[in-house]
Amino acid sequence: MQPEAAVLLVGAAGSLVFAVVFGPARQPGILLLRGGVGLVAMALIAVAPDLDTALLVVLALAVLQGAIELNRGLAVRLRAPVFAISLVALALVLDRASGPAVLHRFAAVGIAAGLAAIVGLLPFMHEFDPAEAVSASPIGWMAFAGPIVAAVLVLDSRRLFTPDTDAVFAAILIGLGLLNALWGSVSAWVTEDGTAAWRYAFMSDWGLVLCGFGLTVADGQSAALLMLLSIVVCRLPLYLMSRPALREKTTTDRPVNLVVAAVLSGSAPFVGFAARVLLFRGATELFWPLGLVLAVSMLLWLPGSLRLGRTLGQPRGRQLVGIAIVLAVNTALGLYPLPVLSLAGT
Amino acid sequence: MIEGAAAFVAWLGASLVVLSDGRRGLSAGVAVAAVGLAGVAFEVSGPIAAASLLAGGLCAAALRWRSGPPGWKVMPPGSTGWLILCIASAIFGLWIAAAVMTGQGGGLRFAALVTVVMMGARILSARGGAAGLSAAATVALAIALAGALSPQAPGFEIYLAGAAVAVLITFVASEKTDAA
Repeated sequence: MQPEAAVLLVGAAGSLVFAVVFGPARQPGILLLRGGVGLVAMALIAVAPDLDTALLVVLALAVLQGAIELNRGLAVRLRAPVFAISLVALALVLDRASGPAVLHRFAAVGIAAGLAAIVGLLPFMHEFDPAEAVSASPIGWMAFAGPIVAAVLVLDSRRLFTPDTDAVFAAILIGLGLLNALWGSVSAWVTEDGTAAWRYAFMSDWGLVLCGFGLTVADGQSAALLMLLSIVVCRLPLYLMSRPALREKTTTDRPVNLVVAAVLSGSAPFVGFAARVLLFRGATELFWPLGLVLAVSMLLWLPGSLRLGRTLGQPRGRQLVGIAIVLAVNTALGLYPLPVLSLAGT
Repeated sequence: MIEGAAAFVAWLGASLVVLSDGRRGLSAGVAVAAVGLAGVAFEVSGPIAAASLLAGGLCAAALRWRSGPPGWKVMPPGSTGWLILCIASAIFGLWIAAAVMTGQGGGLRFAALVTVVMMGARILSARGGAAGLSAAATVALAIALAGALSPQAPGFEIYLAGAAVAVLITFVASEKTDAA
């Protein structure tokens, strides 16, 4: 098992336990069952001996998730993940066959596009129904299974690529990352629906993840891992906590809402800040104008995060304890990211 | 020679999946594609790999035969574009696999390429769950076969995994496709 995937798997398991214990789920048993099946599939993806086996598990997971709820129709729910898997499978065929270099470059395009399509990023956003259960919605791909799939896909495919192909792959990841970071952060700010704003915020975080993976320096890889971890152990639990208030369309401006906004925007001392510092350093090391663009795009997180912080409502009792735990974990990861990074081997 | 013929059969099965909307047409498509892919697997990876793919594909086809929109519905009105896609995929795939790519295993490359591309197109156009699941099951078989292109020759486990996923996909959601 890749150490990065192992760290993310532990984070996902922690998030699932958190959601069952502190989350507002009306049927925590069903959530635990669905999440448990997802975790088993994610573990199988992480220990898969090759990308083909991992793809088969992702395919099975996509169909299982698609069959949970049929509000949007099974064909519609299968469309994005199965298309993504077809793209990656095509890319693997192109990469493995001997032939001109252009075939391998197309393979890099296919893997990057497939990754965006599996997770549900631009230009392959999944259809989204705000009323859908989280386990059945595209958020499940963005925040629960997606991080492990992305880590396995990017790291495994990089082992197959030649240096020339890897450079193409990195450039595509950075391009897709910037597009998603800008689009997601602006959309999280201006969109009318609160649940859709959360979805765009996930997308903007993924933009930074892709940029991190695209930077071929150690800082970039570390930043990508920390951002993925922040999606799993920060944004996902907070999104789950905000679901009741989102349904009731209530917004509040209490101190806790501001602290949550700070966590979501990647302020110090939370884990998002450490990831952004590493990303900025890696980008400056590689090509300083990229660092400038990233710095400007990171400022766009602020208005969207303030808005998302308000959607949390007035947390009380068990919900407040849950939010305190999320804040504590994120502070610890932000202040001491090195143990996690060394565990992940980055 | 057998590899080339089997690759053609795989394309034929994939075309049936693309061009059918009824459960019988889809089932026949999955079965024919499985026979073709198993034929290619027999040439490149041996009888156990071929038997795994064949068993998985036929089981998935049998499950599909029992659920989904009734009838064959092969080439319903509005299928001209998809027929053109099938023919164009074959020509383009043949060119890529035989002329652009080099080395042994042209049939394997052709079968994997056209099956994956056509199923990717099918999933985008599928209006019902039965068609989407049939495409997904066929993709599972094709992914298993594509593993044979890897420099580290895979064992038969990947074929077993592909077959198991194809059956699982069709089995788990088989009851949810009737209304599609």
